[in-house]
Amino acid sequence: MVKILIFAIMAVGWNIMSGYGGMFSFGHAAFFGIGAYSVAYLLSAHGLNPWFGMLFGAMLAAIVGTVFAFLCLRYKLEGSYFALATFAFAQMFFLLTENLEFLNRTEGINIPILQDDSWLMMQFHPTSYNYYWIGLFLLVAAVAVSIWFVHSRPGRFTTAIRDDEVAAESLGIAVLRHRLITVALSCAITAIAGGFYTQYYMFVGPNQGFGMQVSVDAIVPAVIGGVGTIWGPLIGAVVVGGLSETIADLVRNPPAGLEFLQGLSGLDVAIYAILLIIIVVFLPKGIYGTIRERLRK
Amino acid sequence: MRKKRLSIAAAAALLLGLTACGDNGGSSDEIAIGAVHPLSGPLAGVGGMMNDGAELAVDDINAAGGIKSIHGAKLTLMDGDSEGSAAVGQTEARRLVSDGAVALIGTYQSDVTENVAAMAERSDVPLVIDVAIDDKILSHGYKYVFRIQPNASTMGASGAEVLSQIGKATGQDVTKVSYMHIEGAFGESTYQAFRKEAEKQGIQVVRNVSYPATNFSDATTAVTQALSGDPDVLVVSGYYPDNLLIAEAVKAINPNIKAVFGIASGAYDDTSFPSDGGAAANGVLSANYHYSATSKRAQDIRKRFQEKYGRPMETAAMLSYQAVEVIAAGLEKSGSNDPVALQNAIANIRIDDTLLEFKGPIEFDDKGENKNATVIVTQVQKGRIEQVFPEEFATSDLIFPARDH
Repeated sequence: MVKILIFAIMAVGWNIMSGYGGMFSFGHAAFFGIGAYSVAYLLSAHGLNPWFGMLFGAMLAAIVGTVFAFLCLRYKLEGSYFALATFAFAQMFFLLTENLEFLNRTEGINIPILQDDSWLMMQFHPTSYNYYWIGLFLLVAAVAVSIWFVHSRPGRFTTAIRDDEVAAESLGIAVLRHRLITVALSCAITAIAGGFYTQYYMFVGPNQGFGMQVSVDAIVPAVIGGVGTIWGPLIGAVVVGGLSETIADLVRNPPAGLEFLQGLSGLDVAIYAILLIIIVVFLPKGIYGTIRERLRK
Repeated sequence: MRKKRLSIAAAAALLLGLTACGDNGGSSDEIAIGAVHPLSGPLAGVGGMMNDGAELAVDDINAAGGIKSIHGAKLTLMDGDSEGSAAVGQTEARRLVSDGAVALIGTYQSDVTENVAAMAERSDVPLVIDVAIDDKILSHGYKYVFRIQPNASTMGASGAEVLSQIGKATGQDVTKVSYMHIEGAFGESTYQAFRKEAEKQGIQVVRNVSYPATNFSDATTAVTQALSGDPDVLVVSGYYPDNLLIAEAVKAINPNIKAVFGIASGAYDDTSFPSDGGAAANGVLSANYHYSATSKRAQDIRKRFQEKYGRPMETAAMLSYQAVEVIAAGLEKSGSNDPVALQNAIANIRIDDTLLEFKGPIEFDDKGENKNATVIVTQVQKGRIEQVFPEEFATSDLIFPARDH
């Protein structure tokens, strides 16, 4: 359940840059990982509380993202080339953490376990609903920020740039600046999801932080729900999360007649793939995007 | 438009809220033990076998009347599939705990265990590690985590000790060894502990070669490098596929060494190694924790395992069986299914009739390590794994030097 919230926050973050900003990122794991590792490192090595760690991670991710995007945009890396660059960028962080001693290389970082529940250290009994409330709070905040952004002046400029860069520029919109603002915001939100991940799982390793799977996890809910819409990523996360739970249950205790499914892992991934293909072919605007379009007609 | 948008948002929020209310089950006359093993992915074979071992233990205990101090309460086993990944393993452990498991066993891999251990500690639910070697898991001062098998540094040190004893017992010179180990915490910590103890025993490590855990498809170069120091014995630590490759490379190069000696090797005491390795397996020695081939009870369990599941019961599965027994004994002692009382009982437990070849009963020290966990030496002889050293555990005579030219 909390996993769905983490997916959702990530997807909301991804959606700002890729949906509204039109800069397709295939490497949001980089920013997720920065958030996750910031919390883990600051907490385990310096005892700093994870709330601060999250904030720090968000800022760091925003800075790193901005510098990266600046270099890409400055040298006119656009469209699929930009997407490829983001992918390589995440992979670079993956390899870097695997080889950095202070981040524990391939072993990852375990955060210290406390005996008692603590709001300050964001640590509770693993079955506690507090994780759920914190996740929900962060998600609501992320959605609120994205609503605010979309309706703000820079947000409107950003969508204008996405739709027609030349026209926007000729109207005097500072293209680069607005793109960078979008990237920074997107990266910061994704990093928050990463920080929360570390707290919930009490652990982060290179694979959990910077793995390719993480980038995919950020994209899939948004694409299924509807790219470039506020509610799309949320609906997508609920669909994907619910689906993976249902399938996990199905594989664990298959009903009569489906015993051959017992212990079959990877079924959920296969079904996502099919779902994703169906959505991209038949509902290119995603579930929410399509519904909205129908309702408008 | 605006209204519709709101209603969709409300529906989504409702859906989120509904799925949050999971069920919390577990009836009182059944006590659930959660097992986290890799049931899918490349390690599915061994993970499934370990689960079978745990299941057999649960069946045996229930058949013998369940937990007598809790009105004959029956045990049940709940499976979790780690898929070989630390994050999935932890999610599964979390699910098992919230579904009412009073104790956990697992998990075969050190990194997964590290995560599940943190979960167990935070949940106040005991975890009895069946297989996981890394010292680090129990270095955090966890109270709820126990390990039956020896850790990496114990294995490295006692490996050096038995190697030196073998040299003395057979009157052979073992003064120079080369060490090959897999990269990562397991190989590195085993090697470090070995070297320290070896120096005390007057054994010099002339070459130390580490090889990568992935994409290791030909061992010839690494073995040649290790042999360049002209060692008496080649010592090896790693998992099944890589250690098999090393044995084959040694066979092909045919150097003038007295033995290939595995320490915590995933291959050299495995029942399928003699047939997989063929001539390359012959005479290979292995210092590892091992199921007790001299115990009648262990023999009986292995026989019934083979009948029920149609494959031999390796040491890993015996450890899973043993882990369930430790938890059952803890439940018997505490007389309640409260995990906190269970922790206390397991911490002070003593199990005399062990299923592994240990130097004494299973008792945990204050870190949660089994005080009497130790290694024995096995050797491949005539296509079979025989226990050869120390003599009290021997099922066959040690052949050393173990290679002929």
